[in-house]
Amino acid sequence: MRAKAKRYPKEAARLLRERPSVREAVTGATLHFERNRLRAYGEIDTEAWRERARRVKDHVLTHLDHYLELAEGRLRENGVQVHWAEGPEEAHRLLREVVARHGVRRAVKAKSMLTEELGVNPLLESLGVEVYETDLGEYLIQLLGEPPSHIVGPAIHLTLKEIQELFHGRFGTPPDAPPEALAQVARRVLREAFLTAELGISGANFLVAETGTLALMENEGNIRLSTSLPKVHVAFVGIEKLLPRLQDLALFLPLTARAATGQRLSTFVSLLQGPAREGEEGPEEVHVVLVDHGRTALLADPEAWEVLRCLRCGACLNACPVYRQTGGHPYGYVYSGPIGAVLDPGLLGLEEAYPLPYASTLCGACQEACPVKIPIPRLLLTWRHRAVEEGLAPAWERGAIGAFARVMGSPALYRLLSKALRGLPLPQELQVYLPVLKAWAEGRGPLRPSPRPFHELWKEIKEEARGG
Amino acid sequence: MEARARILARIRKALKERPKALLPELPHHALPADPLDLFLRRLAENGAEGRLLDQEGALALLRELAQGLPGAAYGRGVPEGFRPLPELPPEEAPLGVSWALFAVAETGSVALSSEDGRKAQLLPPTHLVLVERERVYPTLLEAFQDHKALPSALGLHSGPSKSADIGQVMVKGVHGPGRLWVVVLT
Ligand code: SF4
Repeated sequence: MRAKAKRYPKEAARLLRERPSVREAVTGATLHFERNRLRAYGEIDTEAWRERARRVKDHVLTHLDHYLELAEGRLRENGVQVHWAEGPEEAHRLLREVVARHGVRRAVKAKSMLTEELGVNPLLESLGVEVYETDLGEYLIQLLGEPPSHIVGPAIHLTLKEIQELFHGRFGTPPDAPPEALAQVARRVLREAFLTAELGISGANFLVAETGTLALMENEGNIRLSTSLPKVHVAFVGIEKLLPRLQDLALFLPLTARAATGQRLSTFVSLLQGPAREGEEGPEEVHVVLVDHGRTALLADPEAWEVLRCLRCGACLNACPVYRQTGGHPYGYVYSGPIGAVLDPGLLGLEEAYPLPYASTLCGACQEACPVKIPIPRLLLTWRHRAVEEGLAPAWERGAIGAFARVMGSPALYRLLSKALRGLPLPQELQVYLPVLKAWAEGRGPLRPSPRPFHELWKEIKEEARGG
Repeated sequence: MEARARILARIRKALKERPKALLPELPHHALPADPLDLFLRRLAENGAEGRLLDQEGALALLRELAQGLPGAAYGRGVPEGFRPLPELPPEEAPLGVSWALFAVAETGSVALSSEDGRKAQLLPPTHLVLVERERVYPTLLEAFQDHKALPSALGLHSGPSKSADIGQVMVKGVHGPGRLWVVVLT
């Protein structure tokens, strides 16, 4: 996917202006997820679970070479073909081979953010392969030609009405068809795809090194079908997804489900060890592609590597008051919300993503929600600091902040200037003349100097207090 | 250099100075004496229908579910005695019957092995799972400790297939079965 993270402020403003329904839909959906998470966290000793999960992930990440080699060996013993990919180029080469060797005409895909990073769909389409996203939300946005708006609920920005219109135009359903009827139509189309596709594509929530197990979580059953029916299954796995032991799944599966949707466990969990054995149903060929795509660079970053603990549960998005306003699209890359703001600069380079760390109130809700205790607010500040150091903040902004600091640092200068501001016949709309205020002023009322200076008011209050 | 070598070399370089984090011990759980009650309760909370039945009772339920149906798809492990209907391919069968490897009380889940099959667990709109009482584990942790030798695919099913992707309204039976029945056999 081509990143447009640089345009975040403009895109956010445009979305708020042009699609006000998004704010309502996203706020409703995220608040719903958030309530469910709080209830599910309330049932367990959350602090202990999160701390244990954090420690397991830190252990894996600080021994990543060991666990990757262990996992690779186990996968091979299980009959899986293991590949390594730096990024899209190698991933595409492998897919081209699979498509050619098996004469693939049709592929079914389970939702995976990594395949968004790698641009798997456009590649397959360019090879003449029909690709079906099989997660219902993902299928909706595929029909619309949009990228996902949320890590877990890709279509949460759409209202029922918009989906009714989409299906009316596409499949001729009544314009007011209820959700059940729409789901039935999608089920029919996708069932046909499952039964005829030669290739199934998925990501993975976890890869257990000790047993070579791919773990996938979902509620619909489309992942079970995509990884069971086609004769070839290709799974793209980020190298940070490893867990040491099978038993660690007993912590990570329920913890991720609670954080993401407030469930004790997702409805379907697939634990895949490899191709079908003698006499079994299932894929004849299974490929696992271990993908870097910027992860080793993040691992090497002593201040930012902790983002690699991320489980992609989406809890920080749901908790974020900034994300709730616009959903994921304005962030301009696969990962949005608080985790996107600290992951995207690492994956894309700060120059491509520097506005994202500013898309936060630093309220800390994201860190409290995070099942692996990623210190997101601290990482936001790290990236902001770097953006300033690297001169990525616009020059006039840096100049203005420098001037502001000088004025605020000198009481005499401050008094003189504030008096001037009040005394001079200034135009009503100050910000027209001060570009530094323009961005701030968009969506707010005009700025005016206070009629009386604060230090005078303060003196008065103190005197009143003394006198009264 | 190939991708594998490059990636591993970069990881080693990145980790050279990094303090190593220890792997925490596995937690110890206080286990319920009999997980069965919890299992049936959690199943119900997940939107599935669970029953504790002897062989007779299980057959009666199966016949009741099968009323008016032309046939069913069966997992390989389902005993002869539990196949009251003619066998249909899973693509056409209105009912799938499976034999579970184990069940987990804590999450209200049944574990289904690829050795039993896969299509009968996924394609029919109603899914009935049989599990022996001794195979109900209190926690996921214990179940995994006992099942290190996994089949090629293991599915944990904890309720009917569902989605809220259309306007946040919960819809059942989206791709997989919209009804899940679990019979614990005494
Ligand atoms: S940062 Fe934490 S809360 Fe956000 S998606 Fe990742 S694991 Fe979930």
